[in-house]
Amino acid sequence: MTGTGSARAPTRWPRRLVTLLAFAMPVIFILVPLAIFLGYSFFSVDHGEIDYTLTVANYVRFLSDPIFLPVFWNTCVLCLSVAIICVLLAYPAAYFLTTLKGRWRYMLLMLLMVPLLMSYVIKIYAIRSILGLNGFLNKALVSLGILQEPSSLFVFNMNAILLTLTLLLIPFAILPIFLTLERIPPILRQASDDLGASAAQTFMRVTLPLSLPGVASAASFVFVLAIGDFLTPQMVGGVSGFTFGRVLYSQFGTAYNWPFGAALSVALAAVVVTAILLGERFGRNRGASV
Amino acid sequence: MTARPSTIFLAAVTALVAVLLYSPLFVPIVSSFFTVAHGEVVWSSPTVAAYVSLAGNKEILTALRATLIVGACTVLLSVGGGTLLALYYHGRRSGRGALQFIIFLPFLMPPIISGLALLIFFREVGLERSLLTVVIGHTVFVLAIVYRTVLTRLQSLSRSLVEASYDLGATGWQTFWRVLMPNLSSAMAGGAILAFALSFDETMITILVTGTQSTLPVRLWAMMRLGFSPDINALVALILIFTVLLCVLAARVLIPKQVATAAH
Repeated sequence: MTGTGSARAPTRWPRRLVTLLAFAMPVIFILVPLAIFLGYSFFSVDHGEIDYTLTVANYVRFLSDPIFLPVFWNTCVLCLSVAIICVLLAYPAAYFLTTLKGRWRYMLLMLLMVPLLMSYVIKIYAIRSILGLNGFLNKALVSLGILQEPSSLFVFNMNAILLTLTLLLIPFAILPIFLTLERIPPILRQASDDLGASAAQTFMRVTLPLSLPGVASAASFVFVLAIGDFLTPQMVGGVSGFTFGRVLYSQFGTAYNWPFGAALSVALAAVVVTAILLGERFGRNRGASV
Repeated sequence: MTARPSTIFLAAVTALVAVLLYSPLFVPIVSSFFTVAHGEVVWSSPTVAAYVSLAGNKEILTALRATLIVGACTVLLSVGGGTLLALYYHGRRSGRGALQFIIFLPFLMPPIISGLALLIFFREVGLERSLLTVVIGHTVFVLAIVYRTVLTRLQSLSRSLVEASYDLGATGWQTFWRVLMPNLSSAMAGGAILAFALSFDETMITILVTGTQSTLPVRLWAMMRLGFSPDINALVALILIFTVLLCVLAARVLIPKQVATAAH
């Protein structure tokens, strides 16, 4: 025992350093910047200089100005729609994966995840060229006879942002749904089968309810990723597709009002935290671990 | 088993999803080999000219170099820091929850918030924006991933391993290097690959904290307004192949262990 004690003694000094680093690193590089950022939301800007007197004017402006709240609300609705469309597409795909056996299941899952590795910027650019007036989508719709002539309905507006974000974020919806579906013990479905339920009944009464936590996590993931994105709206949104992310970003560029931007970020963070907490609350797997 | 029509429906939706996901990848890869004129692909004349001219594109190669430097530094810092934090917090009761929460914040918050917070922080402490600030931004962003990967492995290790090492007379360092490290190395390698992949494509934080030197995604973002030349498509195709290989590698390093633990 004394041997162990003396052997540990030389490590005391590095141990203190480790303790210091373990606490200092996250505090200095994460907590302090966020705290300063929060502090900035109570400052103001005067002739391009930051005025450090405390004020709630930024929050008052956000809540009272006729521009910001509607943009904020529209963006929330837009991202919620993206989340819903992603889940509607991802659920059948994830379900299909779980019907496959062994290797194939993971091969196909991998195949659906690979697009995530592709450069985000390049994907936005490619999607924009697909949606454009001369793009593939218009060509396909015209040749199928659905459209008479190429339409500019799919680019440089809110639809474009909706479509692009959906295409970019589907994989984030597939994964959590697949994981919960996979974790449902097959015995439960067999029992339902043995008790005389039809395939549809088994799905509605057993599989679907047990997979809802995965759906909640998926929707929460997609929503959070969509609402924080300012690159996609900037690139495909044009003039009419103005989202909250863009407004926020512009405060640090053209509008040059960092304190107001910080206040807008606090509003964004509030929505994100709510979405994460909701996802967490309903995303917990209950009863599936039989 | 499910009835036939429902299986067909599921397969059809999966196929649709695959087409949706792959169409944006298809565009640059096809245009890297074929000329595209007026929105039509000229299938008759495949060419590797784009790949040749890429080798002479200084601007892109400089950005690629910056990206690789940032990626390497990010991997070193995040794997070092993440492992240290995992080792330290593992087995600690008090204060762990709060610190863990802080580490996860930049990963959970939208990148625009982390990026802007760092932007203001760098300005307040007088740190000029450069590749260093980009490295800090990336490290803060990926730290949670490495930390989580290493901690998960650490938790799956039996405590008796370390105790046995001490009982056999090993010092703290010997136990660390001979017992813990060999068991953690594959988790650290997996974390390193994930960290590199995330750093390589990180755009939103980078745009906010970068100085005059920009990484590849930011360079591409700036070029996008003008439209891309064919050599960009060639680069994209190469990057995709490279990242897929990296991903297969990461899967090999990480997955066998997880499947083994999940089986218990």
